[in-house]
Order: sequence, then structure tokens, then C-alpha cells
Amino acid sequence: MVRSLTTTRRQALIAVATAAVLGLAACSSSAKPPTQSGTGSGSAGGRVGGTLTVVTDVSPQTLDPAKAVQNDAWFTELAYEPLIVRHSDGTLVPGLAASWSYTGTGNTTFVLHLRSGVKFSDGSALTAQTVVDDLKYVVASKGQMAPFLAGDTFTATDPLTVTITAGAPNPNFPQLLTQDYVVGGMVSKAGLAAPTGLGTSTAGAGPYMLDAGQSVTGDHYTYVPNPNYYDAKSVSWHKVVIRVVSDVQSVLSTVQTGQADVAQGDPQTQVAAKQAGLTVASSPLLWSGVVLADRDGKLAKPLGDVRVRQALNYGTDRTSIVNALFKGLGEPTNQMTVPDGYGYDAQLNSTYPYDVNKAKELLTAAGYGSGFQLKIVTPDYQQLNILAQALKQQWQKIGVDLQITDDADANKYAAAAFGGAFPAFMTSFGAIPVWMEGPSLFMPTAAFNPLHTADANLTKLYNQEAVSSGAAQAALDQQIEGYLVHQAWFVPVVTTGLPYYARNTVSGISTSATEPLLDLYEVQPAG
Amino acid sequence: MVREAIRWLLSSLVLLFVVTVLTFVLVAMAPGDAAKAILNARSGGYTPQQYQEMRRMLGLDQSLPVQYWHWLDHLLHGSMGTDLFNGQSVTQALGSRIGPSLSVIVATLVVSGLVGVALGIVSALRGGVLGRLVDVVSLGGLAIPNFWLALVLVELFAVRLAAFPATGYTPFGTDPVQWLRGLVLPVLTLSAGAVAFIAKQTRDAMSDVLSQEFVTMLRARGLSTRSVVLKHALRNAAIPVVTLLGLLLVSLLGGTVVVEDIFAIPGLGQQAMTASASHDLPMIEGVAFLFTVVVVVTNLVVDVSYRLLNPKVRAS
Repeated sequence: MVRSLTTTRRQALIAVATAAVLGLAACSSSAKPPTQSGTGSGSAGGRVGGTLTVVTDVSPQTLDPAKAVQNDAWFTELAYEPLIVRHSDGTLVPGLAASWSYTGTGNTTFVLHLRSGVKFSDGSALTAQTVVDDLKYVVASKGQMAPFLAGDTFTATDPLTVTITAGAPNPNFPQLLTQDYVVGGMVSKAGLAAPTGLGTSTAGAGPYMLDAGQSVTGDHYTYVPNPNYYDAKSVSWHKVVIRVVSDVQSVLSTVQTGQADVAQGDPQTQVAAKQAGLTVASSPLLWSGVVLADRDGKLAKPLGDVRVRQALNYGTDRTSIVNALFKGLGEPTNQMTVPDGYGYDAQLNSTYPYDVNKAKELLTAAGYGSGFQLKIVTPDYQQLNILAQALKQQWQKIGVDLQITDDADANKYAAAAFGGAFPAFMTSFGAIPVWMEGPSLFMPTAAFNPLHTADANLTKLYNQEAVSSGAAQAALDQQIEGYLVHQAWFVPVVTTGLPYYARNTVSGISTSATEPLLDLYEVQPAG
Repeated sequence: MVREAIRWLLSSLVLLFVVTVLTFVLVAMAPGDAAKAILNARSGGYTPQQYQEMRRMLGLDQSLPVQYWHWLDHLLHGSMGTDLFNGQSVTQALGSRIGPSLSVIVATLVVSGLVGVALGIVSALRGGVLGRLVDVVSLGGLAIPNFWLALVLVELFAVRLAAFPATGYTPFGTDPVQWLRGLVLPVLTLSAGAVAFIAKQTRDAMSDVLSQEFVTMLRARGLSTRSVVLKHALRNAAIPVVTLLGLLLVSLLGGTVVVEDIFAIPGLGQQAMTASASHDLPMIEGVAFLFTVVVVVTNLVVDVSYRLLNPKVRAS
């Protein structure tokens, strides 16, 4: 049971990380005259604008919240209000659930008290049983987030109370049930009864609902206010249109020319967006660098020695790389998280200053003073291939010959990297809670640990973290991060963000380290 | 005439059959399949059991002939199946995209045809510098990558001058003016190469026709240059140009992907690309079927045009 749970979690987390790698997008398009965009006026709290048009570069494969991926969060959150909403400052506020808490110890029992009087867009009422049925549907659908709920028991304790009994400790139920992880959005009873229709229509209790007649799948998705929404005063727009514009340069042009108010941007166009006078919001989301996967030295014996792995970290001039490749877009890092993110410890950033002599000393002490060859595979996204080339140049100075396999085909790269064919691989990884990160990044069955390195100390820390909360959990997060940094399982190089662009027609364009994704609920007419 | 129509219909059906079978075979031969694509998209990975289960759900565990037969059976009952990812009807999905595609393609044919033929005629009549200019423009039009031209046009006419929208498509029925404005930049992009090509072809054909004896005879009879060119010479010179336009239409069917991408036009090219990347067999088959129908109809139109333009063909 544990095996199957961790296996599936691992699979899900590949997608979590992949989603982050690929840019955490959402999308859609409509070709209306620029003047129709952001024509908002009115008063706050009941301030109603005209049409909000937002642009993203990825089309959702489905609108079904149980099967949609993180990239699709914009498409689902408008129609499916989650049980818990994550505000742009990172705080968790009530959504369909008025309150929630763990009961007892060990993070295995989580109780949600639902709002009363909530109705879905089809007019049916939100009940505890609907939530139970929805969560069961999520698990059965085997989507991206299902493994985090697999093995759990869902019970309608009373008409408005749901109790989740976890098969294993889960300290991140509150985060998991926010809009960020999609599955927190509840589907109505009728929607659950006909799940095929959920791919192209909506049946949620969110502020808006999809107007299929004004939408073209893969191009633009039009949302209109849900007449049954419990908090009609907070609905800010008469219409929200999400457009899919796949070319990143065209995304910028679309906002520049006033055809859209808000866009999920791309690091490639971030500087141009600023120059064009757009509001640019970006918070650290990803760290990019090397996964030194072969910590037991199965494929590349030198990597089995922690001194060698540390030498590679000392031999990396992060500042130069960032200045050359990510100037204005990222910051150097020694950690597998982002500033102020889960487990971040500012002191760790001085662990590996660029020091060629120190690196050589460590390699000599490990018996590799004359250097060695190291094979690495890299994809082409997030400039990882260029980053690999920069590392090749730098590591030559300490005698390490990096043999790069550059795989433009992301699927082929994934098969090679996660299939354990290379002792090291380049990656970009999204900042997620440490408990959710473990089965993906560093636990023995993690996808990013394809050679299944097991470390008793790390596992012990992880298990402690799973049953902890509050300050103790934060401290354990930092301990885990510190352990990984000192064991040098990775060579993190840079943290970057996901930029959002906006015109002055809107306000509420805000992100933070703990909520780097723009929340459409908060986008309001300017003024 | 009836016999010819029957022959055309039969050959068209054979072509449709061959293309759809070939598409099935080629999709099956390509690495990966829809089951993997769906599992990768939803959960980032899968176990062998999950993969086999998904294959069974999608019917991919059946033999290729059986899969094809099911698809054909559905087609004969008026259904092209559903999108494997979101359950949308293929017919509905293609229906929503054929309008934008046809708008762009037809507008490109009209613009490139009119401008290309006009330039070709002027060049053939004037020769000299103008002829060489057409040659240079031809080479330039063909050499400029359309993605680059598209980006330049957007920057100039959408971002700086705000004359046309940078992206998007407005259906004609929703707003004819916006429909036209939205087509200008994509059509200009696609027409650049086509105009040059057609102008050069027209110039060569026209020069050839104008050097023939019947043209000398017409001139000797006192007909004006305008009459000789537009009523007699152009009709002869138009045959290769019509062929070219037919080929252009067919090439634009799938060749607009880059332009659709940059201008965010929800056309068939994008749909074909997305379906191919995700191994969405019903959608790929639907697109292949539709493209083949358009090719067949285009060939018919070109054939009929030959007959109208050339009495010899009509007689044979």
C-alpha cells in the first residue's frame, strides 16, 4: 500500500514539477476590439468592470478539475471555487469551506466546515456529500493530484462537515485544496454524474461559469457570472475571456495593443514588457540547476563521494551565469527552493561560494585530482541547455569534463532523465511544500531520484516533517533543505519567476514567494 | 459527362480511403501513442498496468484494421469520434476552426492572385527594369521567412501604428469589420511569397503567349493592347496560374501553422499540429479527412477551370 501510494505520488509530482518547468500556464483567446477590454468602472466590493481578457500560452487539455493540471488553474478556478483560497500574499482564506483544521496529532485527520447556502451554477446546493463524492472522483480519475488523496477516506460527518482521514500523515491538506492544485474546486452532483461533459463545460460553485457558446476550445474560453454564486458582490467582471496565444512574443503584443488586460508572460519577453510600460509582477517560482542523481556512484563512481558533489558546487560561478543568462530575471542560489519559499534559509546561500581551489582540493582528497568525465542530459526549455554549456566551461577549470546530451524533445529528455539513464541531468523545479516535494525530488521513489538513493537521516527528517505543524514544521523544512544542500545532491544555480503582465485597466496584479501564481479572483477593474 | 462525374467520384472515394488508411498506419508507426500522452499529461507518468488500462479504454489494444473499421463505421453514421483529451466532438471542433482557416486561405488566394497576376502582366508588357524588379521581389518574397515577416508586421502595424489587431480572429457574423481587420496582417504575411511566385509565373506565361502568332494576328487586326492582353492572352496564360493557385490552396491548408500560431488564429493547422503532437487519432483522422476533401474539391475546381479556359481540354 505504501509502495503503491509513493509510486503514484512520484508520478504525480513529475507532473507538478513539469508543470512548473513548463511555465504553469493557462490560456485562451477572443478577438474582440481592444476597446472592449478592461472597460471596468464601478465601486469596490461591488465594483463591476466590462470584460476582463487574459492571455496565456498553454491550452488546457480538459476543464475537468479532477483531470486538469496546474497549468490549467486559471481555466478551472473561475468556475470552480476551491474549498480554500490562497491569497496573493500566501495566506489561506475561506473559499467554499468556512473553516478547517487538523484534529488530533499526526496530521491524519482533517476537518472542513463548509459554508452554508452555497449553490452550484446549476442551482444545486453544496453539501458535505457533494464534497465527498467529488474527492472520491478526484482519486478515481487518477489525475495529477490524485496521489495526494489516494488512500484517504472521505466522510460527510454532517450536512456541512467533511472529515478526511489520511492513509498516511499529510501536513498539506490546506495547500492541496486551494486553487493552485486544482482539485480543491468542487463539482456539482449533476456534473459528477456526467463526467464526460466536464471536459468542455463547467459545473462549479465559483463566481463564473463557462459560456460554451462564446468559447472555442483551444482558442478562447468565455466565462460569465454564475447567477447562483454565494457572494455576488465580489464578482468584478461581466465577462472574463481567457485567450490562448501560444507564441510568447504574440502574448506580449496582445497586451501591448490593448487586446488583453493581463497575460502570463515569459522570461524571454519580461524586459520588453517593462520597457513597454506594462505592470510586471513576478515572484520566484523555479530553481534551475543540476540533479546529481547518481549519489551511490552506480553510473558515475565519482558522484558517490560527497566531496566530489560539493566540489561541483564550489566550482560553479553562479553569479557570472546569472549575470550572463538571467540578468534581471533571476538570482543565484545554493538551495532547492526560492527566497522566502518552503524551507528557505538565507544562511545556506553562502554554503558554496565560487572557489576553484577549494573545489580542486576536494576532488584531490576524493582521488579525482586529475578530473573525470560526467554525462548529463538536458532539455532545451528554461535555457537549461545553455546553462549546461556554461557549467561545462566552468567545470573544465576543476578538471570535470561534462558530456552534454542536449535533447530538444522534452518527452525524450524525461525518459532519459527520469529513467535513470544518466548520472546527472539538468532541471527546473517548482517551489512546492517540502512534504509534497519529497516524493518527487528526494525520497527514494522520487522521479527526480531515478537511481533511488536512500538516506536514513533524510527519511527520518521527512517523516518528522510529515507529522509536524507550525514553527516546528518550518524548522524541519529548513533542516531538510540544509541536509540536501550539505550532502550536495544537487547543484542549484538560479531561481527565476513566472512573470505576469498587465495594463493599467486592471489592478490586483500581485504575487508573492508563497503564491507566485497570479490569482484571477483578485484582478479587478482599475480605479 | 455523367461517366466522368462517376469516375471523379470513385477516384475521390479511393483517395479518401487511401489517405485515411495511410494516416492510421503512420500514426500507429509514430513513437508514442494517445494513452501515453494522456497519462503523461494528467499525472506525469504511469505504470505498465495504467498504460494497458488506458489503451483498453481508448480501444488502442485492438488491431489496426479493427480500429480503422470502427472509425469508418462511425464516419458512415455521421460521426468522426471525439477528442481523446476533452471529449469534444471532432466534427464540432473542426467546424469551429474551418471558418478561420478558410477565411485566411481564401483571402490569401484572392490577394496573391490579383496582385500577382497584375504584377506579372505589367512586367510582361513592360519588361526591362520592371521585369527584373518582379524577379527580385519574387526572390525576396520567397526568401523572407514568414514568421519573421509576421513579427515585423505586428510590431509595425499593430504595436506602433495600432492599425490592426496583433492577434485573434473575429467571425464574420460577429463583426465583419473586425473580421477584415484581423485578416490583414496574416494575409499579408502569407501573400508575400505567393504574390511573388504568381507574378513570376504570370510574367513567364504571358511573355510566352504574347510571342505567339495568334497574338500578332490579333494586333494586326487592330485590337487594342488591353483587349489582346485581357481577353485573349491572359486566358491562355492563366492555365499554369490556376494550377499554381490550386497548389497554393492545398499547401496553405496545413502550411498556415506558423501564421496561426503568431496571430493566434484558431485554424485547422493549429488543430492538426496539436492533435499530431498528442497522438489524438480521431482528431488526426478528422483533419486528414477534411484536408483530403478540400484537396479533391480543389482538383475538381482546377479541372473545371481548365475546361473553361482551354477549348482543347474541353474538346478532349
